[in-house]
Amino acid sequence: MLGFIKKDLAMIKSNFKLLEILIVIYTLMGICGEMDISFILPFMSVMIMISTFSYDNYNKWDAYAISLPDGRKNSVRSKYVATILMVFIVSIITLLLSFIISYINTKTINYEQILISLLGTIFATLLVLTFMYPIIYKFGVEKARIGIFIIVFVMIIIGSFLAQYLDMTFIGKSLSFLENYLVIILIIITIIMVYLSYKISQKIFMKKEF
Amino acid sequence: MKNILEIKNLYKKYDNFELKDVSFNLPKGTIMGFIGENGAGKTTTIKAILNIIQSYSGHIKIFGLDNRKDEKQIKEDIGVVLDDMFFPEILTPNDINKSMAGIYKNWDSKMFQYYLKEFHLLPNKQIKTFSKGMRKKLEIATALAHKPKLLILDEPTSGLDPIARAEIISIFQKFIEDADCSILLSSHITTDLEHIADYITFISNGKILLSKATNELLDKYGIVKCTEAEFKKIDKKDYVKYKKTKYQYEVLTTDKKSFKSKYDIKVIDKITLDDLMVLMIKGEE
Repeated sequence: MLGFIKKDLAMIKSNFKLLEILIVIYTLMGICGEMDISFILPFMSVMIMISTFSYDNYNKWDAYAISLPDGRKNSVRSKYVATILMVFIVSIITLLLSFIISYINTKTINYEQILISLLGTIFATLLVLTFMYPIIYKFGVEKARIGIFIIVFVMIIIGSFLAQYLDMTFIGKSLSFLENYLVIILIIITIIMVYLSYKISQKIFMKKEF
Repeated sequence: MKNILEIKNLYKKYDNFELKDVSFNLPKGTIMGFIGENGAGKTTTIKAILNIIQSYSGHIKIFGLDNRKDEKQIKEDIGVVLDDMFFPEILTPNDINKSMAGIYKNWDSKMFQYYLKEFHLLPNKQIKTFSKGMRKKLEIATALAHKPKLLILDEPTSGLDPIARAEIISIFQKFIEDADCSILLSSHITTDLEHIADYITFISNGKILLSKATNELLDKYGIVKCTEAEFKKIDKKDYVKYKKTKYQYEVLTTDKKSFKSKYDIKVIDKITLDDLMVLMIKGEE
């Protein structure tokens, strides 16, 4: 599998510049006390990984990959591992930067808040991966692009519906109950989601013909 | 194990095409030319061998092992060049080298670099800057550098100039000097195959028309050129196909010698694979 991951990372190395620019913008905006855009970095790393599917598709890599040892299994597995790896590396960079920005601005570091907000970002980012990858494997990356708009649209509608009609005090209460376990619950949910998504993608790709 | 590849009753149906009972064997230490018109089923057969398509019936054995059950083990020892399918073109040969080292157990980086040098391919240039011929050479270098026992090559010499083709063909010949290795090579450039292929397998419209030793084919088969009057005297059993041209009849016989002894026809030409393909596909029975 290592070879497949190396191939994916080699493909996106030209995009690292874009990440570097975003890191600079993020740092400057943070220091100037502008909007916090820390969510953008991990999110971009998933978007960059999704672009590898386009390159693969263009040169019919998938068919070639199947001719390699354990190609079907490793193709899918490496995409998930490489993406998660990217998200974590970028998240750690974001975390360190956030600490520095926080220190420059307030002379203290609000560890808890930064960690929780980053964790939320990782959760949301992996949510994109969870939904997008099986769709990409099933319908191809071009059609899946439409999929991401639909997913975001549906999430906004559901969110605004919940905000309007649900008794917020109830949510507030259950949240305060969950608060102590929130982090652990989020991590467990994320792991289960990503695992199921991986299994579904695997199943789709195992049957695919080119 | 006498045969490195055995295909038995391979069947696959598409909406507009059918692979019908494809069977042939590739003996150890030999090169087999796999010929046929465009859309005859060459690539489909190759895809089935490699499990790139899966919903087919029939049996495929490679190195004496089942190509589905022992897929991983088999693929460690197969090198492939597929028509139009390869690494994404934003990668460089160096990227391929590093990736393949993590994919094949037997990947030999030095051997890969040797071929890059031999083919004048720059290791740091993106594939998209390479010409069609250079890409093919890179694909061939990639197929060879893990020291496979079987090469499966779909149109490996297409788009190459005669010098590059000669270069690559001599590499293939060197490859099978090791008596354990074999090559299945599909190609439109049949003159290349006449020189290097020990066997010819001819597929047309999803059916295998013949699978024979090249020598036997080129020695025994012939094209009888005769007038209409002479043609009418020929027994139907004594020819496979015929074609009427402007001035004469061209008749395909599978046994020049016995044909000569039976009929008083002077011109029986040696056959080329191109002639064979045209007469088999376009000729009348």
